[in-house]
Amino acid sequence: MNDKLLKQIRKNIDYIDKKIIHLLNERMENALKASKVKETIEDKSREKQILAKISRKEGNLVDQEFILELYKSLFNESRTLQEKGLKLIGFQGAHGAYSEMAAKNWNKKLVSIPCDTFAEVFEGVKTGLYDYGILPVENTLGGVVGTVNELLMNDDELKIVGAIEQPIEHCLLYPEAEKFRDIRKVYSHSQAISQCKNFLERNNLEPVKYYDTAGAAKLVAEEKPEATGAIASSLAAELYDLEIVKQNIENVSKNRTRFFILSKTAQSKEGDKCTIIFSTAHKAGTLFNVLSIFADAKINLTRIESMPSGTGNYSFFLDFIGSIKDEKIQKILQEVQDNTENYRIMGCYKERSNQ
Amino acid sequence: MDLKLASRKNKKKTIVDVDGIKIGEELVVIGGPCAVESEEQTMKAARAVKAGGGKILRGGAFKPRTSPYSFQGLGLKGLRILEKAKQETGLPIISEVMDSRDVTWVAEYVDILQIGARNMQNFSLLKEIGKTKKPTMLKRGMYSTLKEWLNCAEYILSEGNPNVILCERGIRTFESYTRNTLDLSMIPSVKEVTHLPIIIDPSHGTGKLSLIEPMAKAAVAAGADGLMVEVHPDPKNAKSDQQQQMTPDQFKKFMKNVNALDNFING
Repeated sequence: MNDKLLKQIRKNIDYIDKKIIHLLNERMENALKASKVKETIEDKSREKQILAKISRKEGNLVDQEFILELYKSLFNESRTLQEKGLKLIGFQGAHGAYSEMAAKNWNKKLVSIPCDTFAEVFEGVKTGLYDYGILPVENTLGGVVGTVNELLMNDDELKIVGAIEQPIEHCLLYPEAEKFRDIRKVYSHSQAISQCKNFLERNNLEPVKYYDTAGAAKLVAEEKPEATGAIASSLAAELYDLEIVKQNIENVSKNRTRFFILSKTAQSKEGDKCTIIFSTAHKAGTLFNVLSIFADAKINLTRIESMPSGTGNYSFFLDFIGSIKDEKIQKILQEVQDNTENYRIMGCYKERSNQ
Repeated sequence: MDLKLASRKNKKKTIVDVDGIKIGEELVVIGGPCAVESEEQTMKAARAVKAGGGKILRGGAFKPRTSPYSFQGLGLKGLRILEKAKQETGLPIISEVMDSRDVTWVAEYVDILQIGARNMQNFSLLKEIGKTKKPTMLKRGMYSTLKEWLNCAEYILSEGNPNVILCERGIRTFESYTRNTLDLSMIPSVKEVTHLPIIIDPSHGTGKLSLIEPMAKAAVAAGADGLMVEVHPDPKNAKSDQQQQMTPDQFKKFMKNVNALDNFING
């Protein structure tokens, strides 16, 4: 009996430890964010303020001296981290999201910071909170990520400095895989849900939309709603201590998402791909004329996307292979600009595919 | 026999296509351990099956055991191990499903669903499997007549799943020298009455290692569409069916002899 009790208590302690580490990590992330907007790293008055706040807690089992010591070392660690001048990249979702995996694959030295919405990532880069932002633009199964294209269309400040394709492998996660029979509901991002539609239908599972795949995994792990699983990455399973019931549950096995990496300053290194945006006059054949400029020059277009912009008007995104440092490309772009409205180069960058 | 869909009168011979392996057209040998016990054991068995020329990997994850205290199988973990073995060897997977609640889940992992002899007349299970299009191997119950057996196949067919494979695995008689009496007369009988392919399981059919190869050869001679045998890297220490699992070497020799006979008969 005592053995069983001790086991349960130790399980609780393990859980609390994990939470402490998660929270410490979150605190450090916020310290790094703060360092991007404050003048100097060391701020004694702020430290005093924090200490005053935490020492006011009454009925606490933890000794004041101990807390003081703990926080002193915490402040130290925080300062050291801030002094490193680390570069931050904002991504939408919770830790373990596919966007974070793509960010790590693009540049593993960057510190990835979770954001709730795409707009938050966007604004974060604009205000200088993040050096970079990573956003999904299209998926082989789910199609275009409309909200992201809308943000890109309505902005004239940020530059695309990179693009990366990330393979997406959805997994059904549950606290205890062997109890798979109990699962009735599945939380996930709407894109993931549509990509796994067949699997969900075959197994009679009810999808529930959530803001993020990894966020759904976090919710299932922490709140353990009854009979509820999540669709997320295997990385999310690892991060949130969930078990994988089934791997690769997407409708088509070739599931990839393309991400753009945004920054306030354009890429200085030579790129191999460009993205431009423009709108055309409401006349017959105007888009055709623009496309024929590329066709005549034998330039390979890799993406063309239209977005409604105001009543009856359309904006077009165009990706093509080439570098803006190339004179031939410059000449063509001049021609495109002369034939379109609201023309803008969004970036010239290196496209990377991650196998 | 009142068979609307299984009857030979209505249809040409059924060929069940599993990842390009055509059951009903060529002699297909299914091999693998009785139960998935560990990743290492299953991988070793899978490699042995592949090396010997077996076409499909068997392995039980959910085990129907006579005693509730016997090893019940690894469950989902076992299915995951089988999936890994498939990734490495390319061999499609057959595994038993016992519970109608598990049908769609097991179907996510395996290429052929197996209905064990003890579940042959589990009608809710048969109906649930009928709703999927998964190839399904229906084992003959140990006390069942041909008519009862085929009526069970009819259950699966009538729910819309045409991919049914029959499997003779021996029946109970008064003979106790062998574990069951392997009823090879079922091969020509099944072919007279239905269009469904039939596979013979001499491992369960005899329960004796020494009898497996002779009975397998007899099955090939009688026109069986395939064989299912148990292969284990270390049969002596297996968690079930210690007496009837072949070692990798034994399986290799077995395959050589069976293939020689098959070539002689079928060219």
